[in-house]
Amino acid sequence: MTNQKLKIERVLVVSAVAAVLAAGSSWARAPFTDEELAEQKAALVESVALGYDLWHGSRADMTTNGLACGNCHPDTAAANPQTFPKYMTMYGKVIPFREMVNWCIENPQVGTRLDVNGDDMTAMEAYAFYLHRGKEITPGLASEQTTPIVVEYGTGFARTPTGIGVDTKP
Amino acid sequence: MSDIVDHSRRQFLSFAGKAGLTTLVAQAVGINLGVVDIVRAQTGKRGVEPFRFAIISDAHLYSMPDHKFDTQLADAVAQVNAMTPLPDFVLFGGDVAQNGTEDQLVKGKKILSELKMPLKIIPGEHDWYLDMGDAWRGLYGDETWSFNHKGVHFIGLNSILVRDFWTETGMTPLERMTVMEMLESPIPGPWGVHEKQLEWLANDVKDLAPDTPIVVFTHSPLWDYYPRWNFQTSDAPEIREILSKFENVMSYHGHVHQTLFNRIGNMSSVAALSTSWPWPYPPVELAFPETRMNRADPSIATDGMGTQVIDLSGSFEALVQYNPFEDSLTPFMRDGFKV
Repeated sequence: MTNQKLKIERVLVVSAVAAVLAAGSSWARAPFTDEELAEQKAALVESVALGYDLWHGSRADMTTNGLACGNCHPDTAAANPQTFPKYMTMYGKVIPFREMVNWCIENPQVGTRLDVNGDDMTAMEAYAFYLHRGKEITPGLASEQTTPIVVEYGTGFARTPTGIGVDTKP
Repeated sequence: MSDIVDHSRRQFLSFAGKAGLTTLVAQAVGINLGVVDIVRAQTGKRGVEPFRFAIISDAHLYSMPDHKFDTQLADAVAQVNAMTPLPDFVLFGGDVAQNGTEDQLVKGKKILSELKMPLKIIPGEHDWYLDMGDAWRGLYGDETWSFNHKGVHFIGLNSILVRDFWTETGMTPLERMTVMEMLESPIPGPWGVHEKQLEWLANDVKDLAPDTPIVVFTHSPLWDYYPRWNFQTSDAPEIREILSKFENVMSYHGHVHQTLFNRIGNMSSVAALSTSWPWPYPPVELAFPETRMNRADPSIATDGMGTQVIDLSGSFEALVQYNPFEDSLTPFMRDGFKV
């Protein structure tokens, strides 16, 4: 056995031990740095906040009668994002949550549907899912009202209230 | 209807408190006796001349012409006008308007003027915070009132008062209204009737005998249902304390846009359906879950909305019947329930 071969074997053994130790305890390195994680969380909160505004009527073309999502769905209650995709009678087929959002915009609110791939729709979804974090994902028809999440008295998350609807706004 | 408080019934009768005790025992041992059984615990001879009244609530009218909520309020008025027998009067549970503008309040008054019977009304937060009730008072009168009708003492209170959050922060009236429009708004804090109305209430009932049938009417419920959405009145405990001498107090309220019943001590609480949109039940346990309505179907535009009618008997029992625009009631609720 040459010295070279011994060296290679030693390296392999050390590497294998290190790999086993790593797998048994933690990642060899964090997938993201704390700074990167903070940036990502800030981006999510920014999208959630945009969704909060849209949910409460900040975009005028989402309604022609003053109604906003928040009229019927305070704290996104009864929006049930965790139950989608599911069969909705108004479509006669299984639809995703984004389509349900657009149905509400076009029907109760008599507004213009959002681009399903646009940032605003992503934000609406981000807000609804953020307020349902921790809820079990249960795709399917909810024959009874599912229980909304408990939001402690306060903000729910950091955001200045925007009001409801656009009827008397300047 | 008389607007003069009748002070002639001053005979004193001891307070039995049977209903409150029954409720507490039932809840403590986890027995669901059902609404009818529990309320039957405290009937008596109170000399009420049987009559009915109706409740319409939470119209949330917008300013644009021909809005669907205009039609829905008009439908509620037509529904009440078609009741047989006709109610003696109608109570409106607050939130005529959505944004508190005078045009919305005027529109509401015009639609409600089609009622064949007298109207009594208390304000909701949507009516109030643009001009602190100026337009509302000009159109509808005092927000705090009482009257006697056929042996029953009716009381109306303004339960949507909040601490002043706008002066220090320099908010405009529109900004103040905007903050108050959101059900889940974190700024205003809990609503209440506040000290002046508590004093008024204590004075209003001080000469009434304990067997006087009492109906108290507010926008928000007089119990802690879900404070996050102001499904509560912060000084409800004080109100209940003032009214604790009475054998039977019925509280009717708006704001929650759903069917709902509760009972605390001698006070039963019944919620009104809205004419605008239904609200989901918040994530709390209900003492009487059987009084929930069906989940509203969003594809049926007026599902989960409607009116209610209350028939009061000679012994001051109430038969509460919800009249939804669509098929919103569970079998338990379909025939009404006794309070």
